[in-house]
Amino acid sequence: MANRLENAASLITLEAKLSETPKANRNHGLRWYALFAVVFFVFSLIQLNLDYARLLSGAEKFAKTVSLMFPPDASQWKHVLAAAVESIQVAILGTVLSIIISFFLAFLAADNTTPHKTVGWLVRSAASLLRAIPTLIWALIFIVAVGMGPLPGVLAITVGAAGSLVKVFAQSLEEVDEGVIEALRSTGASWLQIILQGVLPCALSALLAWCVMRFEGDLAESTILGAVGAGGIGFELSHAMRSYRFDQALFVGFVIFIMVFSVEIVSNRLKLRMRKRA
Amino acid sequence: MSAEQLERMKRTKRDQLILVLVLIVGLSVWSAFGTSFSLPALWGGFGDGARFLFVDLMPPDISGLPDLIGPALDTIYMSFVAMFIGSIIAGALSIFAAATTSPHPVLQVALRAFSAMFRNIPVIIWTILLVASFGLGNLVGTLSLLIVSIGMLVRCFAESLEEIDMGQVEALRAAGASYWQVIGQAVLPQFLPSFIGWSLYNLEINVRASTIVGMVGGGGLGFAIQSGIKLFQYKDVSMAVILVLVIVLATEMLTNRIRRRII
Repeated sequence: MANRLENAASLITLEAKLSETPKANRNHGLRWYALFAVVFFVFSLIQLNLDYARLLSGAEKFAKTVSLMFPPDASQWKHVLAAAVESIQVAILGTVLSIIISFFLAFLAADNTTPHKTVGWLVRSAASLLRAIPTLIWALIFIVAVGMGPLPGVLAITVGAAGSLVKVFAQSLEEVDEGVIEALRSTGASWLQIILQGVLPCALSALLAWCVMRFEGDLAESTILGAVGAGGIGFELSHAMRSYRFDQALFVGFVIFIMVFSVEIVSNRLKLRMRKRA
Repeated sequence: MSAEQLERMKRTKRDQLILVLVLIVGLSVWSAFGTSFSLPALWGGFGDGARFLFVDLMPPDISGLPDLIGPALDTIYMSFVAMFIGSIIAGALSIFAAATTSPHPVLQVALRAFSAMFRNIPVIIWTILLVASFGLGNLVGTLSLLIVSIGMLVRCFAESLEEIDMGQVEALRAAGASYWQVIGQAVLPQFLPSFIGWSLYNLEINVRASTIVGMVGGGGLGFAIQSGIKLFQYKDVSMAVILVLVIVLATEMLTNRIRRRII
């Protein structure tokens, strides 16, 4: 969900392209793709070889599990709240660190501010590599490297978030009007002056919006990092589940839901305010 | 606007900025204390991480590749099946969940709440929950991906449905078309491009998520990574991570190409 905006943007460009392609041609291609999708779907189902009998018996068991969840057991609230705070702290640290790192890297990555095309390409490719590996895998890698606890969580979030922030920051920088840069350059401004006086003020509100979005995503991720041993509330959840204390698990689930949801509401508010100002 | 007013505005803006910065720094310091985090620890952590990445994980064990092809294909199949079923179910549900096409507001609110629940519970938690009833394996992975896909797609589809041009709908209604005729003739043709766009995007998300799902028992590459780490078979792990990388990037490229081609 963190990439919602990014993706909305790609949809818009996609709709712009829609008007360019002739319609008959499009429909023709569409039919082949649809056919291929159905064939590949059937093929995948056969290959997966799912056990459909288990689907029924599992559904029954699942209903039983859900009934065991009620009423939620809040007796461990001290542990759970401490773990929740830890998750929030991990998310804050990870986000702040990744913002600092990607802020500098983005200027190297964006086409209009990069000192050299090769540098830009290198930074962008590195970022897309970091981004392509899920945060949980980063967490596993860092757990082996530095041991359990919140530190691998912070590192995993920093690395994963930096990967995506570099991309979106660079995109925002590239959207800055070429005229601004041109005007400064013609007055003989240096690279640093162009960035500080021209590019940064133009892109600042977009960058801030991305930071808020990123925190939203990072908090959601930090709540689950504990499931693989990287500290925080996720550990409480998987622990409760594995010891079949479903009523405790539901309470932890509630806390996670409240955390993620309240941050989403706050960030939506902030985004609205920023849009009004812009 | 007088110069004085301008000056005052500038000052309040600067004060606000300083306030926000102080707040962020304060929160970071609080977090650093809470997690007993420090800059040397960060530096050491990145150092250890890098050493682990480049020394323990390298070189990837190519001989383990044949064993990983199966889980890798499972990852792709699970993501695709979840996307296919998910987009059909969500496509049907979203017609009832969008304000413009919903036959009744109560139905709309109920569907939105359901999809919010599906979406806001992280996929790994769905898997942990479902593993207890459905056992380990691909079935659990597919089911949890399906649940999260439906949650995401109902919202995205409904939002696109709300953005369609209502003029066409009005026109058909004025001509005396029935509810289903309006849906079929005015709504669906406008909805098709975003339906495809969001479904492809969902496939990308599923491919990423399926490796996560595997770590807690959902089959696929994530399971191979998790068990490799537990058995200290780091060279196999790096091969699996590289496969994840290849699959994620290949899916991204493919969906981008399809998007450009048919939409």
